[in-house]
Amino acid sequence: MYGTHGRLLRVDLTTGTSGSEPIPEIVFERLLGGIGLASYLLLRCCPAGVEPLSPENPLVFATSPFVGTGITTASKLAVAAKSPQTGVIGDSLSSSYLAIALKRTGFDALVVTGRAPEPTLLVVDDDRVTFRPAGRLMGLDPAATAEAVRGDMGAGFRVAAIGVAGENGVRYAAISNDGRLAGRTGAGAVMGSKNLKAIAVRGSRGAPVADPKGLATAARGLAERSLGAGTAKYREVGTAANLAFFDRMGVLPTRNFQAGSFSGAEAISGETLLLDHHTDKHGCAACTVGCEHRYRTRDGGPATEARLEYETLFALGSLCGIADPNVVLRAAARCDALGIDAITTGATIAWAMECAERGVELGVPTADLPRFGDGASLLATIEAIGTRSGLGDLLAEGSRRASAIVGQGSESWAMHVKGLELPGYDPRKLQTLALGLAVGTRGACHNRSSAYEVDFSDRLDRRSEATARASAAATAEDQAAVLDSLTLCKFLRHALVDLHGESAALHTLVTGRPTSADDLRRAGERISNLKKLFNIRQGWTRAEDTLPPRVLTENDGTPTHLSRPWLDEMVDAYYGVRGWDEDGTIPAAHLERIGLADLVAEIQPVGTQRSTAPVAV
Amino acid sequence: MGLFPGLPDADRAPVIDTVAVELFGVPSLLAGQRRVAVVGATLQELSVSLAAVCPALLGKVIDPDTGWLLGGYTFVLDERFTTDRRAPIAPTSAVLLVSTVAGG
Ligand code: SF4
Repeated sequence: MYGTHGRLLRVDLTTGTSGSEPIPEIVFERLLGGIGLASYLLLRCCPAGVEPLSPENPLVFATSPFVGTGITTASKLAVAAKSPQTGVIGDSLSSSYLAIALKRTGFDALVVTGRAPEPTLLVVDDDRVTFRPAGRLMGLDPAATAEAVRGDMGAGFRVAAIGVAGENGVRYAAISNDGRLAGRTGAGAVMGSKNLKAIAVRGSRGAPVADPKGLATAARGLAERSLGAGTAKYREVGTAANLAFFDRMGVLPTRNFQAGSFSGAEAISGETLLLDHHTDKHGCAACTVGCEHRYRTRDGGPATEARLEYETLFALGSLCGIADPNVVLRAAARCDALGIDAITTGATIAWAMECAERGVELGVPTADLPRFGDGASLLATIEAIGTRSGLGDLLAEGSRRASAIVGQGSESWAMHVKGLELPGYDPRKLQTLALGLAVGTRGACHNRSSAYEVDFSDRLDRRSEATARASAAATAEDQAAVLDSLTLCKFLRHALVDLHGESAALHTLVTGRPTSADDLRRAGERISNLKKLFNIRQGWTRAEDTLPPRVLTENDGTPTHLSRPWLDEMVDAYYGVRGWDEDGTIPAAHLERIGLADLVAEIQPVGTQRSTAPVAV
Repeated sequence: MGLFPGLPDADRAPVIDTVAVELFGVPSLLAGQRRVAVVGATLQELSVSLAAVCPALLGKVIDPDTGWLLGGYTFVLDERFTTDRRAPIAPTSAVLLVSTVAGG
């Protein structure tokens, strides 16, 4: 086997034991690696109806054939668990040195179950697995944790860690490594529930590739092309460049999606940040693009430096009505330090801000409520969430659960799908993305869907028929699955003329298995179906493939191109394009057709099996 | 009858109002401004005119040989993404110049 080791490491924190298991080559052949592999292992290891914060919920880390090969942007690591935030699949992608280190241990994946009796540091040093007390690390932020661990054990170790939010069971806590985050869907809370503060990894074994010379030439060519116009936006401004343009197009979520443009947009735009706050630029390990831009506060307050991406910028900026870049930078830095997903943090606080605006009782003194445009209250609320103190204890549940607890109609302005808060694209004008968000297996996620690309193009217009849009949404989802599984960064996609063809050529050079563009397309479809299988097994129903009521109805003069009948028609069309039944379940014959039936045979009839455990609150 | 009846017809250009092209991301940073007033009856003419007003765009956003956009950039004309060079511009048109890499 080339490009992979063909085995995984299983760790049980309850018993303090570990062991290796083979991964058959057919798994890589059909599901590639990364998110495909992590989703597959999760499906196999996670019992139906499991409570996400229980010891039985597996926490899976998976690498891919491309990790460690020198292919630009490919140093990525998938993290998967049943999400404590959504109750469905929680799959995240993180980047950088940890991915390379894990692959070099000689394992393609790590599956952690159980709960350690005390705060623990899990150490994987090639084949050696040890468990160390981590009491002294508790309370540290992820960067300080990594520094302490590497200080003790050596700089050769790479560290994944949670912050205090993960320790406190904030449902959208992240896992951090090398300054990057597996941010969405609460993998950090799962890690915290296992009493696992950090994982330190060091390895000395690469996986040989089939054609090292050919790969070196191809990788060099790709690296050169990665410096062209297709990635200029990321290299020169970063994703923060979206903000001013989205504002102009009326798709910048503002004040909890009460509007699609923001009067303070120019002040927090990527261009303004670059000119007035920029410090430097970084990249993930083995990346030639380097899209990570860092910025510094420039006011009289405490000096803070933070990396900012568009999603963080909109969530802590326009969504909360904040027009001061210094506040946004401090808020972003605190989210990273506490170890929480900035999108859900901003969106849940924006929900609370709207509650305050409408006079909804949240069980705390009025003076403690966050307010739109009030930076001090935003920062104080972020701290409260991390420590689950005061109002933070409610908001640590995320907007879906918090609104279910509070009631008073506040569910109607909780902006989530399946419990995952919407990203920074107002779907009211972006119809393909709207469908992608509604049917997304992990909830409202732009990364797993990327259907916004269709809306930001001349490929479809408002009057396009349902099947064309459904097909575009499914194709975008499958393409994202391929990139997340190979693993290649999505920011590289515009440097590729023929994304599937060129990726397939790289895959052939790495694995030695002749791979065509169509093979990759089929793998993408398989992976999308696999994730759906997981959700069905955990009790998902069609009712969850929906959008927040606010975007389906006219809202205080904010026009929408969406409606409930429109969405029903689109979801029908999407299931049709996918080959699924009307209720969204997957017929056995379809599993057979796409080459998934034999892989999931032992967990059959998984396609139609329903858990009785509730997914939602 | 024009003000200068002796002028040959060929010298009588149609009256074209100035159009403000709004720049986002790299084009905006290179030009040092968000809006640039240019003239042109089609997107191609607008692109040429834009390059003349903002030479910093040449080679990075606009091809110096063709005067048209390099790969990686697109116009948004009245909320419609387009790279149709012949797309006509009306005086009331809203024209944006952005990266084709939307989102991310
Ligand atoms: S383009 Fe950005 S996110 Fe992607 S691998 Fe490079 S630095 Fe990381």
